[in-house]
Amino acid sequence: MKESKLSVKIDGKSYQVEPGLAILDACRNVGIDIPTLCYLKGLSKEAACSICLVEVTGAKALMRSCVTPINNGMEIYTNTERVRNARRINLELLLAGHPKECLSCDRSETCELRKIAFDMGIREVRFPKTSKTEFPIDKTSVSIIRDPNKCILCGRCVSVCSSIQSVQAIDFSGRGKASKVTTFFDQGLASSVCVNCGQCLLVCPTGALTEQNETEEVWKALFDPDKFVVVEVAPAVRAAIGEEFAMPAGSLVTAKLAQALRKLGFSKVFDTQFSADLTIMEEGYELISRIKNKGVLPMITSCSPGWIKFAEHFFPGILPHISTCKSPQQMFGAIAKTYYAKKYNIDPRKIIVVSIMPCTAKKFEAKRPEMKDAFKYWQKDLNLKKEDEFYDVDYVLTTREAARMIREAGINFSNLNGEDFDEPLGISTGAAVIFGATGGVMEAAIRTVHEVLTGKELEKLEFNALRGLDGIKVCEVDIQGLKLKVAVANGLSNARKLLKDVGDNKSPYAFIEIMTCPGGCLGGGGQPFSADGEAKPKRMETIYQEDRNKPLRKSHQNPAVNALYKEFLDKPLGEKSHHLLHTHYSRRQEPL
Amino acid sequence: MQKKQDIKTMTELDKIIIKYKNTPGMLLRVIEETQKLDPHKCLNHKTLEYIAKKTKTPVSKIYNIVTFYTFFNLKPQGKHSIVVCRGTACHTRGSRNLLDFLIKYFGFNEPAEGQQTSLTTNDKKFTLKTVACFGQCALAPVVEIDGNIYSRMNPEKLHKIIDPIIKKRKK
Repeated sequence: MKESKLSVKIDGKSYQVEPGLAILDACRNVGIDIPTLCYLKGLSKEAACSICLVEVTGAKALMRSCVTPINNGMEIYTNTERVRNARRINLELLLAGHPKECLSCDRSETCELRKIAFDMGIREVRFPKTSKTEFPIDKTSVSIIRDPNKCILCGRCVSVCSSIQSVQAIDFSGRGKASKVTTFFDQGLASSVCVNCGQCLLVCPTGALTEQNETEEVWKALFDPDKFVVVEVAPAVRAAIGEEFAMPAGSLVTAKLAQALRKLGFSKVFDTQFSADLTIMEEGYELISRIKNKGVLPMITSCSPGWIKFAEHFFPGILPHISTCKSPQQMFGAIAKTYYAKKYNIDPRKIIVVSIMPCTAKKFEAKRPEMKDAFKYWQKDLNLKKEDEFYDVDYVLTTREAARMIREAGINFSNLNGEDFDEPLGISTGAAVIFGATGGVMEAAIRTVHEVLTGKELEKLEFNALRGLDGIKVCEVDIQGLKLKVAVANGLSNARKLLKDVGDNKSPYAFIEIMTCPGGCLGGGGQPFSADGEAKPKRMETIYQEDRNKPLRKSHQNPAVNALYKEFLDKPLGEKSHHLLHTHYSRRQEPL
Repeated sequence: MQKKQDIKTMTELDKIIIKYKNTPGMLLRVIEETQKLDPHKCLNHKTLEYIAKKTKTPVSKIYNIVTFYTFFNLKPQGKHSIVVCRGTACHTRGSRNLLDFLIKYFGFNEPAEGQQTSLTTNDKKFTLKTVACFGQCALAPVVEIDGNIYSRMNPEKLHKIIDPIIKKRKK
């Protein structure tokens, strides 16, 4: 039986609300907003900030609306003098201890604390800063910087790291004034199990969590006449970067983005989607080979670097299941500094590869010590020494950092007419676009694997069972009698559910796609801080729309990828591919 | 030699973990007993990592616990402990003066603000700590010396009590 609705009175007006809600959600459902700095629906319920106070008739004290369940007959007031004063005092106390660096803070524009303080009319903080404690800033990670001095202890990051990602790299430590969010023995994120996904950073209401900023290095390279600076852009970036320029969520700005990057001064504007198509060729053939040769199954995708580090920490036993394919970002770097350098006769030492990613973990991936395959390729021919060593990908910018550079250069992004990517590494198919959404890599792989195995054209390219924002999606694909069960997970706590079976050799699937972030790359830790709570489905729709608009929608149809095989790589899984496009993984923790 | 010692500690730890398996609050008990095992009543990195693995608890959570409770030590402790209560009742009745007196008495440097107070003499004989509350508020302010509570203290009384104890135990 469905529970009947509750009759409540909010600010003097009667409402019928769903049972089981907290006061805050019930109020928001009827259009009354209550400010909060810690609550996140369905995610974080720490009752830490004390901003969401409301007055409930009959209750002695003011109630925190985020954790107080709504009851039948309740009379709630969200805007009384008592409520207002209490909220303001609590906010002023938070502000008293908060650094006043708003002008130069990374989150200056997007800070929730600053916004709430402004909205609540705080123009003066009456309380002086009493605490002299200065916490050290954790800069150990190549992806994320943590500044506990700016932290208001809302607990969102701890909550996301635990519930969404099941990583639990960070937790509170100490008590009273010494409280802070930190890692084991304050060793820093780099020594922890942190997978660099940046979901913590997306939910942080202040500037306590930010990405490692690489824009200065990129500017320097762009103005260096001796360097040939090329850029690659991930699929999910074009579905979100418009939000940074006050465009609505879901604005498709591929052509504007290409033009803006050319204006910034990149010598060539290329596309990670080119190497996404390349990834499908390698990974598709790897899957076929594993199926035909009774290799390790299920095979699991390897594009998401957060997931790779997660597996290395928590599931070292299943590493042989992970495809040996590098991610599209890394394939791009390796190809740009070998094939492209050769074809256009450019000294690979002069090529700087900048990648723009929706992701903070990609910064870590680019700096993995093994990601120097182009250097190894040239070492003999060019007589390179140890000190000449270079990475395949030099700098990784998040969507936000790229937007900042575009703003800094005075480019009026939303008014650009739009241009195309450069050839040949800017050519891509629709299969590559959908890498940006959870389920996309799987769908792209099936499109190719199906046609390679059957030799016939696939009639329906859309696999709707693999689309959408569900945490785990499954589907059975029939390839001329060969029935392939496949699964897709996004968010590492969802991935965990599938991995247990893989570890126990009981997984019913042949192929599994895992994306670290909820929604896939479109919800990545490097994406814009969206004021639109519905940004993810809109970005997703944009990605599928771009796929529909592409004349070619299957990776093996990409003419530039086919030329790459003809002129350089020979064939998928060939000798050169093995050296340049494939990698290995290693266990990060001693077994018990 | 170090390795042998480690293995010995590990087996001791295993015993403790098995003893408290599936009991409520097991983690606190395990950590408490582990601390007792240590000659300096102190928890180190390695043992905590081991407990984390064996109890399938994230190390970040373990660190949360051991930094929250003042009972747990991350620094080697002196043979004798002197604990000043810094709870509200003791504070209003002058426990800050007691702490200041003891810091001076032992010649410690003032601890940094926001840091947990845990000061040990160079000869590793005495450790001075604070606690949030002993639950002995009616007797405030209180000081605990090696497990005995001394009530309604003031610096003069404390001086008279502590002098002979210290002299006796210094030997």
